[in-house]
Amino acid sequence: MKAKPFLVAVPAALALALAGCGGSTGNNTDTGSGTNASSAPKDCSSEDVFCIGLVTDTGSVDDKSFNQAAWEGVKAMEGDGIQTKYIETKDAKDYASNLKQFTDQKYDAIVTVGFLMTEATRTAAAANTTTKFIGVDQFQESDVANVTGLVFPEANAGYAAGYLAGLLTKTNKIGVVLGQEIPPTQNYAKGYEQGSKAANPKISVAKVYHPAGDNAFSDSPWGAGEAKKMLAQGADIIFGAGGGTGNGALGEVAKSKGAGESLYCIGVDLDQWDTVPEAHPCLVTSAEKKLTDGTTTLLKQAKDGSIKGGNFNGKTGLAAYHDFDSKIPAEVKTKVADVVKGIEDGSVKVA
Amino acid sequence: MADPDLPPAKDAPAPATEPAPTDTGAAVPVVAERGATPPPTGVLGILVRHQAIVVPILAVVLAFAIGAILIRAQGFNPTYAYEVLFTHSFATESGLLATMQKTTPLILVGLAVAIPLKVGLFNIGGQGQLMAGGIGAAWASYALRDLPAALIVVVAVVVAVLLGAMWASIAALLKTTRGVHEVISTIMLNSIAVGLIDWLVNGGPLSDKGQPFPTSHAVPEGARLLPFLKLIPWGLPVALLLSVVVAWMLKRTTLGFELQTVGRNKFAAGYAGIGTTKATLVAMALSGGLAGLAGAFELLQIEPYRYQNGIAGSLGFDGITIALLARGNPLGTIPAAVLVGAMRAGAPTLQFQLGIRPEVVDVLLAITLLMVSLPVIAKLIFRRHATKQTQLAGSWGA
Repeated sequence: MKAKPFLVAVPAALALALAGCGGSTGNNTDTGSGTNASSAPKDCSSEDVFCIGLVTDTGSVDDKSFNQAAWEGVKAMEGDGIQTKYIETKDAKDYASNLKQFTDQKYDAIVTVGFLMTEATRTAAAANTTTKFIGVDQFQESDVANVTGLVFPEANAGYAAGYLAGLLTKTNKIGVVLGQEIPPTQNYAKGYEQGSKAANPKISVAKVYHPAGDNAFSDSPWGAGEAKKMLAQGADIIFGAGGGTGNGALGEVAKSKGAGESLYCIGVDLDQWDTVPEAHPCLVTSAEKKLTDGTTTLLKQAKDGSIKGGNFNGKTGLAAYHDFDSKIPAEVKTKVADVVKGIEDGSVKVA
Repeated sequence: MADPDLPPAKDAPAPATEPAPTDTGAAVPVVAERGATPPPTGVLGILVRHQAIVVPILAVVLAFAIGAILIRAQGFNPTYAYEVLFTHSFATESGLLATMQKTTPLILVGLAVAIPLKVGLFNIGGQGQLMAGGIGAAWASYALRDLPAALIVVVAVVVAVLLGAMWASIAALLKTTRGVHEVISTIMLNSIAVGLIDWLVNGGPLSDKGQPFPTSHAVPEGARLLPFLKLIPWGLPVALLLSVVVAWMLKRTTLGFELQTVGRNKFAAGYAGIGTTKATLVAMALSGGLAGLAGAFELLQIEPYRYQNGIAGSLGFDGITIALLARGNPLGTIPAAVLVGAMRAGAPTLQFQLGIRPEVVDVLLAITLLMVSLPVIAKLIFRRHATKQTQLAGSWGA
């Protein structure tokens, strides 16, 4: 008999909890507005509304990386007659179904982020020929009329970073810690080596790729360990190029003795001053893909109908020097600026 | 004893589903310590006897209640959110298909954890075994691309099962010959599988060089298992059938009896002439084969029909969730997998329609699991009648 009070109490408490939560069932419709769904959903098949959807790679829109940069590019379009919405992918096998949510609602333009979605994007595009698809970081092997791959010549960004490193190094040894060995990281490494040699022929570059697939771009401890090894071998500038893996390398340099005095690090893809605060002690700049900019440009083209299928080369460059602006000699800055300009107008050849 | 305030025994499903006498022992709580309360009768009695089922259901209800608070805190109406979630998962054509596609591998990896549990082994290598199966299917289907589609499918599945079984058998052999703890060896084999497969598909012998990123060749178009009648993924009936077969095997066959006996007490089993070595090898091979099969279905019936990063997701580890939710009962993996599959399938819609962060689904699952694993609920309701929790890993020889 002693068990009795508990028997009554538990279901009762549960019932209370449930009742309390489902309390206001009346206002179903107006609860839909959150950070994502902006105001009342509009009819995307109408001509007056331009709907832009974004599907993330398996990451969130505040990942301080590609997804966030692309989403910011979408948000820059917000205004009258434009509706924006995103879906965060949780499982790499959901790309197709997440894309379908947007195509079912007749969205006008859909941005997909990351090379893993290349195929899913092209498949969805073939089934929805009136929708414009923008694939961020998706190299198009062949042209599909309504898919535009936003790609970046990583070698150019790497070259600029390498050139700066070549001018700054005191030990004539620099390093680069990369994610998985795939064309984008290979290009970063190639440009970095070339640029550094152009600035300083005596330089030696240590480079290392992450050996395994699934976490190749999120393995900070591994990146930190590799950076530590390179520092021990006398490298004084480390370029971290591989998502979280590279960030681990930046963090390790930042923690080391002499960070910002004799040891420096260079970030990748975005201005990592904003995204990796722990690297502030050593982060001179970042080899940047102007992703937000490129996404907005393509979306504008999609809106006015001038967008073309195939690949679209986004801009690359070096991010601001931030706190190191005063520490870097003026002549170094001019030389680097010249090289960046030279890459852009083609007078500096990066192969 | 029957309390009028009690909800009618709707929480206790039809007695057709026998309580698994194997690990709960709840069916006959007769041999109690001296002075213990006699087994209760009436409604409470029914609940106590079926607590292997009652506890998970209560856990789910409780998790949803807590989840409702979280959703409310984000400024949304929880009732509406749950409605959207489950309407999509069960009442729309594409949602239902997604639910079933996600349920298929979950049942299989759940079984892959549940079987070794019976022998007292904790297989956390489902991930590696599933990956081995997936890559095996990718290889076989591409290598045989000129053969008839049906043959490709059959061979790919067989190769996947064998590779999965082989991957698990490595751990089993290490255990039986050198006494290496299976938790250590299986989890290390996961990492080996990751590295090996990355080498294979990233410029290695299995990689599709025509793609700008690391991936295996696509499964030939004819051999892709498109949903039967556009609605039912082929793997689902297979998974359902296998969970019934496994339940039957454990309960009704000599092999099952041997496995369970070893799990309960390996010394007694040895004394009775049942070899622990054989039990370990068989259980692990079966388990690896099931995980490998899950990998094959992931590859053959779901886009992009290629092996590339992220395809395996965390499925192998989800198997642990499923097996625990099912309290180690093979048939229990079905409702557990359906629940998890439906929630995962509905999460993107939740975000699309309401803007709720899809992580809420993971939170719900985590709370459910916590409630099932911790003896809180059972203790609270059944007090001294609560059975001991499913023993996670007797892991003999450790």
